[in-house]
Amino acid sequence: MTRDWLKHLVLIFGAIIVLAPFYMMVSYSFKSPGEIDRGEGGFFGRQEMMIDPRCVALRQPDRADIEAARSRFPNEDDAGVQEALLTETTAACAMRPVVFNYTKAFTEAPLIRYLLNGVVVTVSIFLIQIVVALPAAYALAKLKFWGREAVFGLVLFCLLIPVHAIALPLYIMLAKLGLTNTYAALVLPWTISVFGIFLMRQFFMTVPDDLIDAARMDGMSEFAIVWRVMLPTAIPALLAFAIFSIVAHWNDYFWPRIVVTGNRDLFTPPLGLREFKGDGDGSFFGPMMATATVIVTPLIVAFLIAQRRFIEGITLSGMK
Amino acid sequence: MADLSITSITKRFGETPVLKGVSLDVVNGEFVSLVGPSGCGKSTLLRIIAGLEAPTTGNIALGGVDVTGTRAADRNLSMVFQSYALYPHLSVGENIAVPLRMRELNGLQRLPVVGSVMPGARAHNARIASQVSRAADMLEIAALLDRKPGQLSGGQRQRVALGRALVRNPAAFLLDEPLSNLDAKLRVQTRAEIAELHRNLAATFIYVTHDQVEAMTMSDRIAVMMDGEILQCAAPDIIYEDPDDIRVAEFIGSPKINILPLERSGTDLHLFGRSLDWHVTSATPEIMQLGLRPEALHLTQHTPRLTGRVVHFENLGSEVFAQIALDDDAMRVTLRATPAQRQMLGLGAEVGLGFDTRVGLVFDARGKRLRSVEAMVDLTSEVA
Repeated sequence: MTRDWLKHLVLIFGAIIVLAPFYMMVSYSFKSPGEIDRGEGGFFGRQEMMIDPRCVALRQPDRADIEAARSRFPNEDDAGVQEALLTETTAACAMRPVVFNYTKAFTEAPLIRYLLNGVVVTVSIFLIQIVVALPAAYALAKLKFWGREAVFGLVLFCLLIPVHAIALPLYIMLAKLGLTNTYAALVLPWTISVFGIFLMRQFFMTVPDDLIDAARMDGMSEFAIVWRVMLPTAIPALLAFAIFSIVAHWNDYFWPRIVVTGNRDLFTPPLGLREFKGDGDGSFFGPMMATATVIVTPLIVAFLIAQRRFIEGITLSGMK
Repeated sequence: MADLSITSITKRFGETPVLKGVSLDVVNGEFVSLVGPSGCGKSTLLRIIAGLEAPTTGNIALGGVDVTGTRAADRNLSMVFQSYALYPHLSVGENIAVPLRMRELNGLQRLPVVGSVMPGARAHNARIASQVSRAADMLEIAALLDRKPGQLSGGQRQRVALGRALVRNPAAFLLDEPLSNLDAKLRVQTRAEIAELHRNLAATFIYVTHDQVEAMTMSDRIAVMMDGEILQCAAPDIIYEDPDDIRVAEFIGSPKINILPLERSGTDLHLFGRSLDWHVTSATPEIMQLGLRPEALHLTQHTPRLTGRVVHFENLGSEVFAQIALDDDAMRVTLRATPAQRQMLGLGAEVGLGFDTRVGLVFDARGKRLRSVEAMVDLTSEVA
């Protein structure tokens, strides 16, 4: 009984450490800049109306506006009209902090575009990884050919190479091919996943040879066996691999930062966070955290929906 | 449907020879069992026939056409595997349809979703569906067509595997220990069903098993394999009663045949130093082996040829097997007796055993059958 109590205490403590940053992120995305700076307002902030200074600054009435508005304020002189217009814009720029943060996130940076880029890049990477890894893993697991063990040794060897070590040569290659600042630069370097090959090979080792022989007797070619027999039986392993692949590339900041240098149209979600990094005109933690919340939400929602299968996938217990 | 002809097939895996020149001819419609202990090469031979494995040397011909280099899919053979090897993601109906879909539909028509609207696919699919339901009716699995293999019992999976094999109307059926994953009761039942299926289809069956009972009960002919060779290929009763080799005699039959040392001095044969009054010419070898099936022995009080003591006793109801330790030697023999003789066979009881001359099988020291010696024995005992 006491042991259970202790266990739970340790687990709760661990959970707090893991969840604290998320708590901060979500909380900041609700609060006004003043509340963030002063560290007050609890989780949701007070949600008092606030005025966006940049909004007001951008809508300063100029000569033409004053002339156009003159008819609405017949009793005022120029300064009076300007004053009235300023009051109007200020009122129009007043909003709740949470609305401010999230509209900023979507308007200041083309966040929708970034999210779409993220989907395009991660899905392309994952699909091509499967197209490469499945036949390779099948050959390594189930076909007998000269040098198979050596090739598998190379696969294991490649697992040891850190991405950062080969980032520079990769970048130079892509630059020489004129591919920097393209989707290809974001996708191509990741299309051959040795981890994927290794994982699928280990799974395919557990598939009985009889099943493959039966498929051969039924008239399937080796490629048909990969796509029609091995792929459907490998769904649990593929799910596990999908977690690793999609999470890694959706969250990747390092590589997009290297190969996407100017073109904001190619920014992936994590690069979008840079839009709110503190420049000369102060920091924008609220919108930044709102952006971060929007970026992690798809992954968290996907996890909650597929939680059971995810854990099955990770522990690889879904296999027969 | 076609004759199958296997000519001096050899196979080595690296340095290990697995098959040492196997030849076998199977006529159309025959049920041939390949039987032998594990590691004798029977499964490898079946895989070579199927085309899943290439022989090192030798030829395979189907219906007079050499298919040695033909890939498995183009031989039009069906195989049933020990593990059934059903596609786990497909329903029973889809599993059975796979060989037909692979053969009759082109790549476009096999595509998921859009395949069924491709030109010509509708007619093909309808034909496939009717063939699948005919196979399902034959095996009485029509009610299971929408289930997944994971929801089926072992016996049902076995039927689905058979259905997948017979739906394509193959030149021959290859069965690799199809019953060994079933429980004992189901095995007996399925055994009869497969034999019946063979009679109904009148197709060629090659059946691999390590279970001699399966081989004995189902086959037209049994090929007993050992150490990469076929020792004897003949009808079950011949294999049992008239084996060519002591290894065949020992493998077939349960309980095992009793093997006793037989010695010749002069023209007289002796068993444990006791004369048998069997006379042979002096050209026969001096040391031979006598094989006696458990049912060839009988209890006797008058001038028993063997005496011993009952050390173990198995009552199967319809028959009784007793193990008897012989007085003359540390050897044990097994006796099959009727239930009526049970009280004579209490543990430790002293018994005398006799046997009929005609039922003894004589082998030389290396295990080859000596039919000439048996003929001489039969002749002399008739004279006596």
